[in-house]
Amino acid sequence: MNDRNAPDRPARSVAVVIGSGSVKCAAALGLVRVLQREGIRISQLVGCSGGAIYASIVAMGLSIEECVAASERLWTREVTAHGDRRALLRVLMPKVFGFDSDFGLRSDELVLARLREAFGDTRIEDLPTPLHLTATDFANGELTVFSRGSLVDAVRASMAVPFLFRPWKIDGRLYLDGYMADPLPVGVAMREGAQTILAMGFESPYEERISSGARFAFQVSSILSNNLLKSQFAFHALAHHAEVIPIIPEFRQRIHLFDTAKLPYIIEEGERAAEAQMPYLLRLLATEDREERAVLHRRATS
Amino acid sequence: MDINVKPAGDVTVVQIRGSVDGLTADELLATLDREVDAGNVRLVADLTGLDYTSSAGLRALLGTLKRTRSKGGDLRLAAVQPPVRKVLELAGFTGILKLYDDVPAAIASYAG
Repeated sequence: MNDRNAPDRPARSVAVVIGSGSVKCAAALGLVRVLQREGIRISQLVGCSGGAIYASIVAMGLSIEECVAASERLWTREVTAHGDRRALLRVLMPKVFGFDSDFGLRSDELVLARLREAFGDTRIEDLPTPLHLTATDFANGELTVFSRGSLVDAVRASMAVPFLFRPWKIDGRLYLDGYMADPLPVGVAMREGAQTILAMGFESPYEERISSGARFAFQVSSILSNNLLKSQFAFHALAHHAEVIPIIPEFRQRIHLFDTAKLPYIIEEGERAAEAQMPYLLRLLATEDREERAVLHRRATS
Repeated sequence: MDINVKPAGDVTVVQIRGSVDGLTADELLATLDREVDAGNVRLVADLTGLDYTSSAGLRALLGTLKRTRSKGGDLRLAAVQPPVRKVLELAGFTGILKLYDDVPAAIASYAG
């Protein structure tokens, strides 16, 4: 799909940032499909939370069909089906059962097994397309970027949804889900030198009915993360010279956390949103291409 | 992108059509700067025909907003179409800019 060492023209490439959004992040596969059709190379991928899964499978160089199959194997309702009874007891009686930062209400054994099945021993730096995955440092809340090391560890850290899964330890530090620091980390692509960034972001859905403590917590989390998404996006869009092209799929159907049955529809909406921006993107890349050729011509003739 | 500037009393209406992006934002900013330099700081951007803005467009709008407000004026948006509104909302612009359903309403808002 992409070649890390490909010597092709730098101008005809874009960075793709996939924000948090659980299974909705599969819409990025629709974006990738459109880029492939138009012959536009992905120079780097940035992924956060659910976006980390899709950024990773795209960076591996799989076909869209293989990406869909990998996604269906990886992300199903069973991954959060098993509660951790001891975790609940630790909440209720911390002095008896002990309480520390290694806390999550759901067992992460299955999700970990599936990540290992999908990514094996792959190291991020060995992927065909440069990949940067984000997580949040549990000790200080800072955005941490994983551009090297175990892919399984980085994805697991990036999707360590607070309260659901326990934070993940890498090199002695604990990490939470990347959305806690920035749900759509376009700043990472900017820091890595991207000039043209396709940013696919998703607002967290608000609860239709608050009927349990969990739903109350999800609502609070959605409010916080949506406000954070807007403020971070505004800062990066305004403070940097890079061109950020937001690609925001419109879902007419409500997509739930594990709606993998709706993957074809989700991908279709991603494709539709990407196609809407293609006329502009192609004009922009053509202009960059002309400027690049002019620079090369000047260098050659000076 | 097409830009058309027309006065409406002591308000200046800037009609922007097409796409404000990395290729066109400089032209828009230059047009808006000329109006502000000429003392026309009560601006209404008619976005009826604007179908897209990227981060470059947001920067142009914000730059103009700062300049008009520092001179006692404002930049107000009229008839923002759904795709553009989505980007404005994502960037938090709907919290700092005043939006109106149509151009007459935006012009009338300056009378208040």
